[in-house]
Amino acid sequence: MRLWTASKFLLSKISYNCMNSICHAFKILYTLELCTHLCVIVEDGKVIASGRNRTNETQNATRHAEMEVIDTFLEQWREHRLSKSEVAEKFSKCKLYVTCEPCIMCAVALSFIGIKEVFYGCANDKFGGCGSVLSLHSTPKGEGFKCTGGIMATEAVSLFRSFYEQGNPNASKPHRPLAQQATQ
Amino acid sequence: MEETWQIVHIPDNPPFPPDQQPTVDAIASLIDPLFANTLVRRLNQIAPLENLRHVKRVHKKFVQGGKTQLSVILCLASQNGNQLDSIQNDVQELMNSYQLSPFITKVCKYAASSKEEWEEQCKLWPTSYHPPTYNIEGITGFSQEDSQSVFSFMKYAIQLAKSGDNLEVNAAVIVDPSVKQVIAKACDQTCSCYNPKNEITLETSCIEKLETSVCHGISGGALSRKEHSNGFPAKSEQLYTGVSCLCPWGWAEQESDMSLRYCHPLRHASIVAIESSAARDRLLFPSSGKTQDKSFEMDHMQSCSAASPAKRQKTNPTNIQVNGEDNLDLNGEGCTRSLSARPYLCTGFDMYLVWEPCIMCAMALVHQRIRRIFYAYPNPKAGALGSVHRLQGQRSLNHHYAVFRVFVGTDI
Ligand SMILES: [Zn+2]
Ligand SMILES: [Zn+2]
Repeated sequence: MRLWTASKFLLSKISYNCMNSICHAFKILYTLELCTHLCVIVEDGKVIASGRNRTNETQNATRHAEMEVIDTFLEQWREHRLSKSEVAEKFSKCKLYVTCEPCIMCAVALSFIGIKEVFYGCANDKFGGCGSVLSLHSTPKGEGFKCTGGIMATEAVSLFRSFYEQGNPNASKPHRPLAQQATQ
Repeated sequence: MEETWQIVHIPDNPPFPPDQQPTVDAIASLIDPLFANTLVRRLNQIAPLENLRHVKRVHKKFVQGGKTQLSVILCLASQNGNQLDSIQNDVQELMNSYQLSPFITKVCKYAASSKEEWEEQCKLWPTSYHPPTYNIEGITGFSQEDSQSVFSFMKYAIQLAKSGDNLEVNAAVIVDPSVKQVIAKACDQTCSCYNPKNEITLETSCIEKLETSVCHGISGGALSRKEHSNGFPAKSEQLYTGVSCLCPWGWAEQESDMSLRYCHPLRHASIVAIESSAARDRLLFPSSGKTQDKSFEMDHMQSCSAASPAKRQKTNPTNIQVNGEDNLDLNGEGCTRSLSARPYLCTGFDMYLVWEPCIMCAMALVHQRIRRIFYAYPNPKAGALGSVHRLQGQRSLNHHYAVFRVFVGTDI
């Protein structure tokens, strides 16, 4: 159910005429493992890629949803044999919707690729790169993207809270046994 | 030749010029050494130095004739008005009963971040100096043996980044220092067309320039180092547009003679190296795939605890091939190692980079829990470990690494 909360949150951010495609994107997400960090990339009002946090299964703590979605995106364009400038052109028209403020790494990665705009739910006090810890969405030289945070933040926070309460997270015990709730 | 190699710690805070460190005023008084203990105990109760824990309460001075003179900080001075009038009542009472005559002294506001700063601070009023709380090996210096090992891994990284005689890309090498083993290595992969053998540029003598400029900087004193304050291996930065961390926004503009080329603007050397060390972990320590470890995902979270992860559990060094850097040894014990031996990301590992990383790479290395970062050349436009940002000083993060710059010798 948590995923549906997340999708509801994201849905509310996107215009109604693209509901179907977003529902489709989140149905795919729903069949995968539970994750808290979700994002979608939207081009011309259509969801063209989605990503989720894959840090656990990859043992790679940099595989945040944003990095995943960018990879999916680039892979699609490679298949379409787009040139570098066409790829850059595409990015400059896309918007990213994400449940939690992108971390420092992801914020600057989004700036590197030249995304147009980012919307996020709750702020990220410890790692946030779009205003909370650092402000990497805008540089003095004008690189960066438009960024709007705190959209339906209450819903986003409760989504995360329910996830962590059930998962009983404790960073000092990184090799906890299987958390049953995680597969619900 | 080897003398020019040098390892310099890049501290968490920008170092103040030693004689320009911020200070605050305090009210002090000379005291009779007989009453020192009593007074200090009482003062610590009634006027503790809350935000100045690095400042010592007592200043001991040797005066002529082999005698010592003690003064003690009574309390902090107020910022405005007549500082001596604003002394709180119980301190005033203490002063009266011991017949103390107050004077104003300056003390340093922040704890020293280096030995040099500390020595300078003590000229005003003594402070204590604690090397960073996360006491990472090397911050207080390297043994001869450890330095040699650092230098040889840096040489290895520079060789990786070389194409012909040029440093066209960044290179990243992850090392397990406990067994001196290369865990993963990578070069920038922002363009898959990159091929060291085919890429010959007009500039062929850049490494020689590198030697002269860096050497010059080290041996020629402050002035000549200033001329190369960028620390770039050569005069023109244009040569290095292929180094992802130096020009992270420039991927789309970079010229390429083919229009259809795979390009991935985020595949900087550090990111690729982390990916391959993670792949190595998955091969060496396969799990059922169902174990949920949410602590990885916690990095997104505002609600997460700041506790650092468990220490890397040591694998048995005899299982590791010390020099077989590419060999994952998958047929041996590796596959049967229990999950309990699985290392936690890159905890305990070192990262060698030819160029100071951009902030994406620097944050990726925080996420992956690298212990120390060594880089050879600074990145003045996009560097995140001292040049533009100083991520190692960002206290809100849940992991802190130590950062070192390796000045490269002439034997490269
Ligand atoms: Zn992130
Ligand atoms: Zn980088």
